[in-house]
Order: sequence, then C-alpha cells, then structure tokens
Amino acid sequence: MNFLRSALVLTAVVAMPLVGQRPITVTGVQSLAFGTLLPGVPTIVVRTDAAKSGQFTVTGPHGAQAQVTFTLPAVLTGPGGATLPLTFGGSDAGYSETQNIGSQIGFDPKLSFLIIFSQQGSGSVFLGGTARPAPTQRAGAYTAIITLNVALFP
Amino acid sequence: MYTASKAALATLVLALVAATAVRAQGVNGSITATATVQSPITVTGVQNLAFGNVFPGVAKTVAYSDATNGGRFDVTGQASTPVTYSFTLPTNLTSSGNNLPIGSWTGYVNTTNATSGGSAITPSATPAGATLSAGGALFFFLGATVTPANNLPAGSYTGTVTLTVSY
Repeated sequence: MNFLRSALVLTAVVAMPLVGQRPITVTGVQSLAFGTLLPGVPTIVVRTDAAKSGQFTVTGPHGAQAQVTFTLPAVLTGPGGATLPLTFGGSDAGYSETQNIGSQIGFDPKLSFLIIFSQQGSGSVFLGGTARPAPTQRAGAYTAIITLNVALFP
Repeated sequence: MYTASKAALATLVLALVAATAVRAQGVNGSITATATVQSPITVTGVQNLAFGNVFPGVAKTVAYSDATNGGRFDVTGQASTPVTYSFTLPTNLTSSGNNLPIGSWTGYVNTTNATSGGSAITPSATPAGATLSAGGALFFFLGATVTPANNLPAGSYTGTVTLTVSY
C-alpha cells in the first residue's frame, strides 16, 4: 500500500509542471521558395530573406529549453520524378526568440540546436538553402517537405 | 528497511519513467521547399540573309518576308514567358578588306513561323521585349538593304548577325 501511495504521489508531481504552461507547438509559416531557376545555375536563398526563406513559429513554456532538429530533404522532386539537388550550409538556419528576422542566431540545420523560449514563450526558426539544378534539369515545378522537430527539455 | 528500499527503488523507476515521458515530449511542423525550373533558351540561326548577286552602284533590298532570302532565327524556351532580345548588326559586309555597307534593317517577330499575325520590329542593339508562345517558341525574320559603291570590287561579301535572347 505504501508503494502504491508513493506511486500515485509521483504521478501527480510529473503532471503538475504542465498545468498553466504554454503548450509546445511548431507551425510552418512560410515555404522555402527558390522561385524560378535556370538549368545549371545554382540559386541561394538566405535565411534573412523575408520573402523566400522558410519560416516556422515555435511556442513553449517561457524560459524553457528545447532542442530543434530539422528533417531535411536532399532533393526537390519534380515532373516525372525528376530530382533537383538541395543543399544546406552550416549557417543556413537561424533562431530568433523575438521573432525578428533581422535578429537571428545562426546554426547548422543539419545538427540539433538548443533554443530557449522567451518570456513570451514563442520564437521563430528561419531556413535558407541552395538549389542546384543540373545543366540538363527538366523544366517544371519541384517541391519537397521540410520538417522541424522540437523536443522540450524537462 | 526492505520496504523502504523497495519504495525508493519504485520512486527512482517512476522518476525515470516520468523523466523519459517528459523528455519524449516533442512536436513537429512542416513547410514545403519549392522551385520552378525554366526551360533553357535556345537560339538557332535557321536561314541566312542572302542578297545574292549585287551590282556596284545598285542598292538591293531583301524583305524580312522573303521566304527564300530573308534571315530567320528560331527561339525556344519556357512556354508563355516574356523574354528580351537584341541584335548585334554589322555595318558592312566585308570581303578581303573591302566593305559593302548594309543598313535599313527590317524585322518581324512572331510566335509562329510566319510573317503575318505577329509584329514588325526594327532590329537593333537596344533590348526589346517579346513573349514565347504557349509552346515555348518565337520566330524572328530579318531583312536589310545593301548599298554597294560604284567602285566596289567584285567578290563574296559576308557579315554576321547575332540575336541574343534572355529571360
């Protein structure tokens, strides 16, 4: 019985920190848009490009730490299954706890990155990249999915 | 003591389970990456602008609509897309250092291979605009006038006309 009472108490303790706290969320806000490309001509979108950079909004308990990790595609896929290589540099991602695109901390989107939620409990993650169409790249529209994973640290 | 140890162990296990549960708390969201690849532009000189035989002191004109002697360029690219074009035009045809002046350029641009239904143009180095057809084609037709001098030496005279097209 003592064992059961202890277990019940502990269960209650685990649940308590979540009460009244801002929930952790990730929202895709804007696509990473390379626009119109010409075969053989690489095109770079920088993470500070307000119109073209990929953008996510993340929320969580204010002051909490979380680990963000991207699931990045290696290619965009287009007509007939044609693929267009996509690369990401070591500072192609950025985090702004004030959600200001002009005030980012850059990080490598291929690696996990630790963020701290602001007092407002929200922040923005920005993403740039480079599309590298081959000289013989087939014309058409190409797309891929980019996922941002956020894991909250207790 | 034994009961206390069991309780402590249970507490530890539960704490680990709880910690694991909290650590596993994660969410994700997605966006798309997008790009549109355009067809490259090709420009092909299909037919030379040919004046044939000319005589000293006698100007000769070839109309852009001359299906046999008029110059023609075929352009391909992204369907229904605007392009800019310009010409690099010679001021003379040359032969062994002798010049045969060429000028009064005339032209026509069309989305079909015909000198009707399109637009007359004045070929020049100044960029101008046109739009590729729904099939991604554009045709340029070229005419001009040569004015051989009275003392122009006989010979074969040539010059190069270049059409540059870009998105």
